[in-house]
Amino acid sequence: MVDRIISRQGDVKRVPLYIQGLDDVIEGGIPEGHITLICGSAGTMKSSVCFNTVYNECVNRNKTSLYFTLEQSYASLLNHIINMGYDLSKVNILLINDLSNINANLAQLKGSRKGTIIFADLGCIRKEIKDAKVATSQNAGWLNVIKNVIKKVKTDMGLDMIVMDSLSALYVLSKFENPRIELFYVFEFLREMNVTSFLISEMPLDGSRYSEYGVEDFLCDGIIFIRLSPFRRNVVREISIVKMRATSVKTDIFSLEFKNGKFYALYGGQNPLL
Amino acid sequence: MNKITFAFKSITGQRSGRIEERWNYDTGSLLLSSPVIEDIDGDGRKEIIFGTKNGKIVSIDLDGKLKWIYNAEEQHSQVELMFLDTDKANSISSSPNIADINGDGHKEVIFGTESGRLYVLDSKGKEMWSYRADGPIRGTPYIQKFANNQTGILFGSSDKNLYFLNAKGQLLWRYNAKSEIESCPTIILAQTPMIIFGSNDGMIHALDLKGGLIWQYKTEDKILAQPAYEKLSANSEPVILIGSTDGIMYCLNERGSLLWSYETDGAICSKANVADINKDDKKEIVFGSCDNSVYTLDMNGRKLWSYETDFWVVASPIIADLDDDGRMEIVAGSYDHNIYVLDSEGTYVLDYVPGVSGIVAQTGQYGEAMTSGPGKTQGKKIWQYKTEGVVVGCAYLSGEKSIIVNTESGKINDLIHKEE
Repeated sequence: MVDRIISRQGDVKRVPLYIQGLDDVIEGGIPEGHITLICGSAGTMKSSVCFNTVYNECVNRNKTSLYFTLEQSYASLLNHIINMGYDLSKVNILLINDLSNINANLAQLKGSRKGTIIFADLGCIRKEIKDAKVATSQNAGWLNVIKNVIKKVKTDMGLDMIVMDSLSALYVLSKFENPRIELFYVFEFLREMNVTSFLISEMPLDGSRYSEYGVEDFLCDGIIFIRLSPFRRNVVREISIVKMRATSVKTDIFSLEFKNGKFYALYGGQNPLL
Repeated sequence: MNKITFAFKSITGQRSGRIEERWNYDTGSLLLSSPVIEDIDGDGRKEIIFGTKNGKIVSIDLDGKLKWIYNAEEQHSQVELMFLDTDKANSISSSPNIADINGDGHKEVIFGTESGRLYVLDSKGKEMWSYRADGPIRGTPYIQKFANNQTGILFGSSDKNLYFLNAKGQLLWRYNAKSEIESCPTIILAQTPMIIFGSNDGMIHALDLKGGLIWQYKTEDKILAQPAYEKLSANSEPVILIGSTDGIMYCLNERGSLLWSYETDGAICSKANVADINKDDKKEIVFGSCDNSVYTLDMNGRKLWSYETDFWVVASPIIADLDDDGRMEIVAGSYDHNIYVLDSEGTYVLDYVPGVSGIVAQTGQYGEAMTSGPGKTQGKKIWQYKTEGVVVGCAYLSGEKSIIVNTESGKINDLIHKEE
């Protein structure tokens, strides 16, 4: 796909993050079709922030999203989401855990007027096909599974957003021999698909880089950084925008809070401004 | 062109005529490699055989008419398909090899596929047998007839193994190169016969015919090119010439020691072509590079000339006398969509314009100006033909003096030199 050239400032279509206080400082949201890294260490609510965006887009704009869960099981993720107070009856939920009936599963949702969230549970798929001869074949790979599922959903239903949870798990699964080149092609593929992509990146505890290989930082269009910050005898979450192409950004650090089913980015928050 | 102009051009060494298309053939699929020209069915007329990205081997006659197609596309279940890169799952990435491997007097077509299967077809395009490797086969298989009438089939795979099969498709041995193999091997019948091939970790391997390692030589990047083994002059030892994607053309002796190397600014992806192009009784080395240029080196690795196209020169250049004037031309296909026909001897270009600037007016030291030549030899384009796509390979049909060009877009052109 060739990027569309906008005719004037403000023409960029945006996907709000549905984080009150943060969308305002990024011109209303991240540009549609962009690839954004959501970085942070364990426990920073990266998955929840991504799910919050796709859920609200599906409810409010009837979008179709594909959520790849590579480390957490579908059931565990769903329990977590329901426990946070999201009403899943407002959207279609579809689980892909068996590649042999993907066509039939997608066909069920054709023509639905509601937004749809499709969960692709790769852990479950791995267990299902571990004995299949294709899994051991050299030219086959889990990266191809991910690409083919994206292509399939895009062709059959139209696809607006994807979440990859997480890049670290993808690296374990796919064993990139030449990460710089292979990641370049992964990012190119996502751009070609013209979907808004959130790639969850587990950061090392020392915070030395935003991604495993470093090259992802340059290839992506945006980086949202969430960190845990100790305050007195408490730990607070803080969110900031490190990079966002085609967007005028305020690079302030906000406290990230989740209350009554909504995310808030606050100046100070629990951490008073002194 | 009138007779006087023609005579003048002949006397002054100027070339006349142009390159014209005789026919073209649309394969309906992308192409990734050069065609091969052979009379495979023994009817006295050669055929053009090539592989396509959608897994077909096609044979067409010299008029561009289809003779047969073999479909090597493999059937996969829905689950298997999800694991494959569907864009290239069935690709035939390299040229087939044509040889009579079973001694029945008919030639066979031998090729490998992205799905990891080596196929042997008969001259009518019917499958005789196939052999499954554990990874994609991206290089052309190499066929060697031995003195005892036995035939060996050698090919590398991305499963990191070099396979050696007999003419019935039985595995004789395999050698683990510890890195993917995408290049085509070569057997050199030196005092100690050796198998030479390169792997993706940049290593050049020399094996004996039983798969035992003799020596290795490390280059800095992936080797995709087939080695050439040539005696470059009457009095010299034969040498191994192999280009690497580190941009260097390496010249090694049979013991694996470096004799010389020549560095270009781009990856060298295909085999060097060797011939005496300037009638000095020494062979020259011609190859393309991804720094967009075609190079000609002398037997000691010194550049004679280079010619810069507008994009990568990936396929091996052809050396042939296209216009029947007794002089060789170099034919090179470029990713800039053009076929270039170059003068094999290049042209001498002065560093200054006579009468405008004297030698003392040149830049540099006085001594340097006195000892260095007043100019240098550069590549000289004679003709150029624009095709409809990236040129991925070409082959020369000597009898008809035509060039068969494969373009990535799937078009095959038959080009010929025509006097005006």
